[in-house]
Amino acid sequence: MAAPVKTLTVAEQIQQLNAARKIVLENASYYDRIVKGILPIIGPSSPVELRRWGAEFLAESLSTPALSSRDKENLTVAILETLRSLVDSPSEDPLVLKASVIAAASAYPIAMRWIIHNSYHKESWDSISAIKGRILRMWDGAPTPVKICCIKFVQRVILTQTASNGMEQKVGGLDVSLSMIPPNHPLLDPRLLEAEAAGLLDRLLGVLQDNSSDALLVDATLNTLAILARTRPSTSARILNKVLDFNPLKLANSPMTPRSKVLIKSMEKTTRQLLIHWLKRDQNGPLAPRIQQHIERLFTQRKEIFDEANRKRAFVQPPAADYNDAKRPRTDSGIAPPVQRPAPGPQSLAAVYTLTNNPGLQAFDATQVPAALAAKINVRTLAMTNPQVLEQALEAIRIRFRTLWAAAAAAAPAQPAAINAGTAPLGVDDDDDDYEPDFYAAEDTEQILNKLDSAPSEPPVEEAGVLAPLGPFKLQAPPALDPDLALKVGQVTSNRVFAPLSGLEDVTQKHKAGINRLAASSYSRDSWLTVITRLATRSTAGLEDFSSGVKPEDAGNALDRPRTSLSNLIRETLYNYVLEDWRRRIDVAILWLCEEWYNDQLTKKNGTGAPLYYDKWAPRLLDGILTYTTAQDKVLTRFVAEIPELNKALLGRLKSLCGDPTKVQLACQTLLYMVMMRPPAREIALNTVADIWVEYEDARPLAGKYLSKWRPGFIESQQALADGSAPSAMIAV
Amino acid sequence: MDPANGAQSSSSAAQTSQTEVGPSFKLKFCTVCASNQNRSMEGHLRLAQADYPVISFGTGSLVRLPGPTITQPNVYKFNETSYDSIYRELEAKDPRLYRVNGLLNMLGRNRVIKWGPERWQDWQIGMPRLKHEKDQGSEGMEGGIADVVITCEERCWDAVIDDLLSRGSPLNRPVHVINIDIKDNHEEASIGGGAIVDLADSLNKIAVEEREKVGATSFDSGSAASRSGFDERVPDVLADWQERWPNLPATWTLAWF
Repeated sequence: MAAPVKTLTVAEQIQQLNAARKIVLENASYYDRIVKGILPIIGPSSPVELRRWGAEFLAESLSTPALSSRDKENLTVAILETLRSLVDSPSEDPLVLKASVIAAASAYPIAMRWIIHNSYHKESWDSISAIKGRILRMWDGAPTPVKICCIKFVQRVILTQTASNGMEQKVGGLDVSLSMIPPNHPLLDPRLLEAEAAGLLDRLLGVLQDNSSDALLVDATLNTLAILARTRPSTSARILNKVLDFNPLKLANSPMTPRSKVLIKSMEKTTRQLLIHWLKRDQNGPLAPRIQQHIERLFTQRKEIFDEANRKRAFVQPPAADYNDAKRPRTDSGIAPPVQRPAPGPQSLAAVYTLTNNPGLQAFDATQVPAALAAKINVRTLAMTNPQVLEQALEAIRIRFRTLWAAAAAAAPAQPAAINAGTAPLGVDDDDDDYEPDFYAAEDTEQILNKLDSAPSEPPVEEAGVLAPLGPFKLQAPPALDPDLALKVGQVTSNRVFAPLSGLEDVTQKHKAGINRLAASSYSRDSWLTVITRLATRSTAGLEDFSSGVKPEDAGNALDRPRTSLSNLIRETLYNYVLEDWRRRIDVAILWLCEEWYNDQLTKKNGTGAPLYYDKWAPRLLDGILTYTTAQDKVLTRFVAEIPELNKALLGRLKSLCGDPTKVQLACQTLLYMVMMRPPAREIALNTVADIWVEYEDARPLAGKYLSKWRPGFIESQQALADGSAPSAMIAV
Repeated sequence: MDPANGAQSSSSAAQTSQTEVGPSFKLKFCTVCASNQNRSMEGHLRLAQADYPVISFGTGSLVRLPGPTITQPNVYKFNETSYDSIYRELEAKDPRLYRVNGLLNMLGRNRVIKWGPERWQDWQIGMPRLKHEKDQGSEGMEGGIADVVITCEERCWDAVIDDLLSRGSPLNRPVHVINIDIKDNHEEASIGGGAIVDLADSLNKIAVEEREKVGATSFDSGSAASRSGFDERVPDVLADWQERWPNLPATWTLAWF
């Protein structure tokens, strides 16, 4: 530049430089002149601000897509020396270095191509080699921001010095490759260059091999690898293997901080995205299945890690009831338990049957186990028991009984004497004694066992005195039932009424028996729902406490009162049940309202003054449904058409639908259906359509169409009226 | 003159003069969503209002706006349709519907920010952008490069990264690509816009700090803290930001233009 630099301040110079930059941005043909002009200003001896500006400008100039590669060649050759001096400076500012390395990365392939075609120019090759050498030396020790740019520079060197498959775009020097160098080039030896590139690739991938947790370096590296593996076939296998071996989630083993979360997520996502990128472009490659697998694995691992971090509890042991688990260790060896001879003296039946030596198990009171559960356990255990072991155990019990029997037999001779001492006739012969033992021997062990089995709770005769006698058992009196508790329990009960619904099946064949159908004709969902609706409507109808000063209107608010009747509880639950899935349960809603209406009619007929429910629940249900209605819900029409009684208030709710322009059609068509198919409701339905026409301007086209057919002259009268009075006046109602 | 690039002058010497000189260093941002209509434009507007150089893009194949029903969206081509023409078309179709659902309001905002929706994949990165002087946030964006790309949805982030990988990074410039998951409605976009400006402020702060540290001390001889530059502090800033905005999950990577 021609400006007299010395006399200007740094800020002024930068202003000038920015002006110059603007010129080249507007017209790229000035690049050559302006870049060459600023080179003297941004040398190593200039102020740091100017060096920063200059290095960034060089980086921008060498990378701009506005210049063709050919134009950039001249530019590159011209700035190589300046670039060299910038990176060579021993204590350069990191920002200057960063921009210089970026510029060098852009310059390298361009310079290389220039040298390929201009082999006489050794100076350029020396300069670019020196720049390369300096950057490779500073790579390890540089501050991280510079380091990532070194990574990018190295990627460009590898890209340039490896044979290409020609699949890259021809922009920014990406297409410069080893394939362009003639074998007899005086300055460039393809084999040496290729070897250097291979070495650099190993160094580049080192960060992955080390499983580094420095996300910045890892991401910077990963994001340079895509084009290498895609367009430089000799690097693909090595790169892919290194990426597949890299574990971006290693950091997750240490405690998670907000920072480490950012790092883990970043490395995992970057790795996954790179793999997806490759997979998309080469779905049939030899490594594709492995890549696919790896992507899925990363995804699940990441999910586990981050879900785990959100979850409070750790892995739960599998339930112990999992009998079929093949991995459960065998605890029973199949060897028969050693049979313990019963201790001398009286024995309890439990002791006789106890085969285990474990004192804990011996103390276990099996009567605590509910009978049903015990039966289940028994069946299951018997089914799985080794028959031999069972046989051995039975034999053990038999042996015990024999032993006990022998002991009893030994004691027997004394016993009858003791019993009969007073009654035995004197002088009785000993002949009978021969018979007596036979009496005892007549029952064998099996018989005794059977006998004992049939009366398991009775202790054997011998030890009657050993067990403490049981006193009379009295059940504890239940706590007094107060109304609150009763209400609570009642609520639980009413909820239980709904429990079978989920388990019951829909009957495919429906017969319409109307109001006279029997509720309990079958055990299907339909009949059960009939039971529920009748429970709600009829069970306590007329029994409520409506005469004690509570007005019937209040009965409508019964739900808000502290004491709620069972019927209303069921109604409330039924309401929730319908709204849970109202599109499919619209039948239930209709059925219920029919029952309410019927019951109301009966109530009116009886003249007891009991509260009426239809008028309370029909609007409430409709309100509930309208909240969730979308424009497609034709089922709403069915609901309105089938409920037993319509009134202005109900249809007025339908009218409010028209506030949403998308639902105008639904509302109007529903009303039209009433007009056509439900003559008793025709007038109020038409009135509602008229109201819609008056109140909602959006709905006018549709409402007007219906009105002109069914209530001719209405619109005209309205318009005539509107000319005279306020437009919101309603006359048709 | 180009005040945003006067930023380069902010340094130790400019530390004191910053207030009198006025323009301080500003990072250049790029916001991206699916259709370059709601979330990215909200971010674009808010960043421009905060005086950041900013451009915005969409990654979808077409600009899709809601229509009368879910199956009838209004579809336009990127780069060829202006916000103004979309506005006028929708206004003619059904003014009430499009006013009620907020589309006209959004388009009315967009048409004063820039001419029309632009597609990320068609963006020639690094091509000078001098014909966008009337765009909000264009000042400083003349070089056609951003330092930070903020996407508003994970699949947009994926699309951006995939596109950058397939471009092969000819420019050799590092770029931080950050995704912030923002739901596509007007309220969430507005909240997200605030979050984006908060993130931009935090990032710009460390970038300015980096530029204020001068030269020799920071290389070779400096302590670890003084050596840490903008790029390596981005994850820390993002972690802090995430604590402040726990409902907007963020993902980050360092990619290349």
